[in-house]
Amino acid sequence: MASHPVDNIILLADCYKSCHYKAYPPGTTNLYAYFESRGGKFPYTVFFGLQYILKKWLCGPVLTKAMVEEAKEVINEVFKRDDVFNEEGWNHILEHHGGRLPLRIKAVPEGTVLPTKNVLFTVESTDPAVPWVTNFFETLLVQAWYPMTVATNSHIYKQIIQHYSNLTSDNHDMVEWMMHDAGYRGVSSVETAAIAGAAHMINFKSSDTVAGSSLLRKYYHLKGVAGFSTPSSEHSTVTSWGRDNEEEAHRHMMDTYYKGDVGCVCDSYDLFKCLEETWCRELKESVLERGRRSGCVYLRPDSGDPKEIVLKSLEILGKAYGTEVNSKGYKMLPSCVRVIQADGVSHNTLWEVLEHVKAHGWSSGSVFFGAGGSLLQRVNRDTQKCAYKVSSAEVNGKCVEVYKQPITDTGKTSKKGRLTLQHDNGNITTIQSGQGDPSKDLLVTVFENGVLLKDYTFQEVQDRASLSPSHFNIEEYLHNTAS
Amino acid sequence: MEGGILQNVILLVDSYKNSHHRQYPTGTSYIYSYFESRGGKFPYTVFFGLQYILKRWLQGPVVTKEMIQEAKELHAQHFGRNDVFNEEGWNYIVERHGGKLPLKVCAVPEGTIVPTKNVLFTVVNTDPMVPWLTSFFETLLVQVWYPMTVATNSRIQKQILHHYLSKTNDDLDPLPRSLHDYGYRGVSSVESAAIGGAAHLVNFEGTDTLAALVFLRKYYHCNMAGYSIPASEHSTVTIWGRDRETDAHRNMLEAFPDGIIASVSDSYNIWDTCEKIWGEELRELVLKRGKNGGAVYIRPDSGDPPTVVVKCLNILGDAYGTTVNSKGYKMLPPYLRVVQGDGISYKTIGKILENMKTNGWSAANVGFGSGGSLLQKVNRDTQKCAYKCSHAIIDGKGVDVYKQPITDPGKDSKKGRLALHLINGTYTTVQQEGNDPKLDMLVPVFKDGELLKDYTLQEIRERAKLCSSDINVMQFLKEDSANQDE
Repeated sequence: MASHPVDNIILLADCYKSCHYKAYPPGTTNLYAYFESRGGKFPYTVFFGLQYILKKWLCGPVLTKAMVEEAKEVINEVFKRDDVFNEEGWNHILEHHGGRLPLRIKAVPEGTVLPTKNVLFTVESTDPAVPWVTNFFETLLVQAWYPMTVATNSHIYKQIIQHYSNLTSDNHDMVEWMMHDAGYRGVSSVETAAIAGAAHMINFKSSDTVAGSSLLRKYYHLKGVAGFSTPSSEHSTVTSWGRDNEEEAHRHMMDTYYKGDVGCVCDSYDLFKCLEETWCRELKESVLERGRRSGCVYLRPDSGDPKEIVLKSLEILGKAYGTEVNSKGYKMLPSCVRVIQADGVSHNTLWEVLEHVKAHGWSSGSVFFGAGGSLLQRVNRDTQKCAYKVSSAEVNGKCVEVYKQPITDTGKTSKKGRLTLQHDNGNITTIQSGQGDPSKDLLVTVFENGVLLKDYTFQEVQDRASLSPSHFNIEEYLHNTAS
Repeated sequence: MEGGILQNVILLVDSYKNSHHRQYPTGTSYIYSYFESRGGKFPYTVFFGLQYILKRWLQGPVVTKEMIQEAKELHAQHFGRNDVFNEEGWNYIVERHGGKLPLKVCAVPEGTIVPTKNVLFTVVNTDPMVPWLTSFFETLLVQVWYPMTVATNSRIQKQILHHYLSKTNDDLDPLPRSLHDYGYRGVSSVESAAIGGAAHLVNFEGTDTLAALVFLRKYYHCNMAGYSIPASEHSTVTIWGRDRETDAHRNMLEAFPDGIIASVSDSYNIWDTCEKIWGEELRELVLKRGKNGGAVYIRPDSGDPPTVVVKCLNILGDAYGTTVNSKGYKMLPPYLRVVQGDGISYKTIGKILENMKTNGWSAANVGFGSGGSLLQKVNRDTQKCAYKCSHAIIDGKGVDVYKQPITDPGKDSKKGRLALHLINGTYTTVQQEGNDPKLDMLVPVFKDGELLKDYTLQEIRERAKLCSSDINVMQFLKEDSANQDE
């Protein structure tokens, strides 16, 4: 198996960054930059994933002579000129720092849930000879947008499910099992799957993206696994039996995985016929019997309009298996059978489905969900308008505030000066221009000169992220963002 | 620097697939699956990226006893039970096949432009003892949706640029560098940057995504697939202070006195910067650079793109003068250009070019850059990519396999063992049975751990180049926009 396509830290930056050491004013000795979500789809973010980037790419003596040589050759060729590559600068880091990066990074603790438009981490150079290093690693550090946005996206799913569980269920233990990650095939690479899989596991326990657990074990001290799954069929394991033998396929599944839970996809040909004839008649006794052994069958539609499909499926099953009304007045299927909807799920459709079944007297507790692309791939840097900007510098011994303020887009205005993240009257807020109180700063130094100073465990990340964001009302949010 | 998270091929899949080996009918010996784009945004796809997946993850002896042990332990915890993981099956692959995967993959040559709803590659197990292997690697092989979709999205934009350059410029020389990849920071991981960046370079030569260049060296035999130019960014301009913006740009010009450079110009007031700084204060330096054969690309980075681009062109045209080309459109002098790298997608690039054309400006005056839209704002549903079992051998008999959900005919899958024919310039998917195998455009690329084809970027680019039989891209944009309005 070949290794990662990129194994040279100098090649982790946009090409143009190789020329920037010449673009700063002479006498520049320090550059200080920060990263924030400038707003976006969600009014808050769950901060996660920086530690992965630090450990994977930036900790320790990461720069080698071979890298400098390779990068020189590549950069010279990319630009077709040899006055761009900063050989002297990189050699300085090799010789004076043993290949360790002279940077100090402060960040809000991973797992923290906080409103947008706040500083999430700051990066500053620690060696006046090579201040340009701060912004050289913008490209890589900005990729923190992804785990952060997926973690937040997933967190919102949890809010929605929790909301309906509060309204229509007696028991909320299953909430963290109700959104299954099915996104492994729908992301852009294996590395991405690992990052996103891990981010989702902050909020939920249900996942097929095992790569997420691998990342958490390697970078976040996870013992064991953080996501769990169930033997389940897919279309090929049903359709290979032939159209006339679909029932046989499902019976075989039930017999093969006799114990515990199973998941069965039901829409290969005719979803409702499958439910009515196979699951409500032929295999009903088998399902009930499994229920007596504390197992459950998750029946999965996989096409059609989600809210209609889910409701109809519940109605069919309710008729055959009976329902119980819980203390909140909503119907529940017996514990041996559930519907799992894992097609076309997004925040909006999830909301629609749960609202629809509620309106028809059903508890949300009988419906589980899965998502792939909408959980892990349909996010981008603009979803949370993530950006990294230099806000302060030292030039010729003087500290200067640095900012952009384009008249063509006030949304792109950046913060000024040195920043702190502080509590202020129960809110988290960012104080600019060095006006903050360093002793109250929530930002913690996580990396300095090649050394990792904070090593968060996944448990801590989950604990922090389990807190609900203050002043956030999920129903209001859904109404405002309904498209 | 740490190595890969996943050094274990058994962990490259959705975990439920570990349960499938026991779900096929008894007597199943072969499972045959295929991959297609079932439609989607674009009416064709550029096939690209499978070779990386094969080389990186599947080629050679990839399964070891250690991996089997690790996977066994993990899955026991993951499922909370011991009757799922297929220890026997994996041990068989190590013992009988030395850890190589007994699979055969046939694919359309990389770079081929194929209309949607056609088979792009097929997979079948070569050892009847392990039919479950075909579908096991669905997860990983389906990830080819990404390079394919990026390459397609990129090529559609190339068609649009080609259209406007043909109409408004003397020649097509600017085309290969007219859309630059800015997406390195806006993708989900470094690996994705490499893959997506490479897919863009199938069509263009301009990139800042260095990962793509080393990727193409490593997996597609191309020493240097793309180029870039020295360019400022906001930090290098704003650090000089608001009242010293001229010095910031001057410094760029002097630090790189020869050749082409770009400078971002919207830090405070793009109009003043174009008019006063570029148009007056630095005019001499720009002219001097021009005399030496160099150029400056002025980069706005905010505001409504069609408006901003034309306004910048007008201001610069007033300051530096314009000439009219053979097609009757205005050109800035050769040492001056605008580069628009904000808000570019296949939907917006045409609007900007159209607005330029309406205002008498040649498309050749502006270069484009795209980040998130190029490399991140795509997904598996963009081209409805799917991998489905279409045929099986059970008890020695071949049976066609398919799904046909009444709840969504768009999800119907193809049946049988498939071939791709090219008849009178049109691609069609047919059954292998009853057809001449020599006509099949699908080529065996992988068998039993060996790579059978090793495409170079050069040949891929050759296959993917624009040609007269391409779809009418302006018609496509019209229909696409009408669909949005519905």
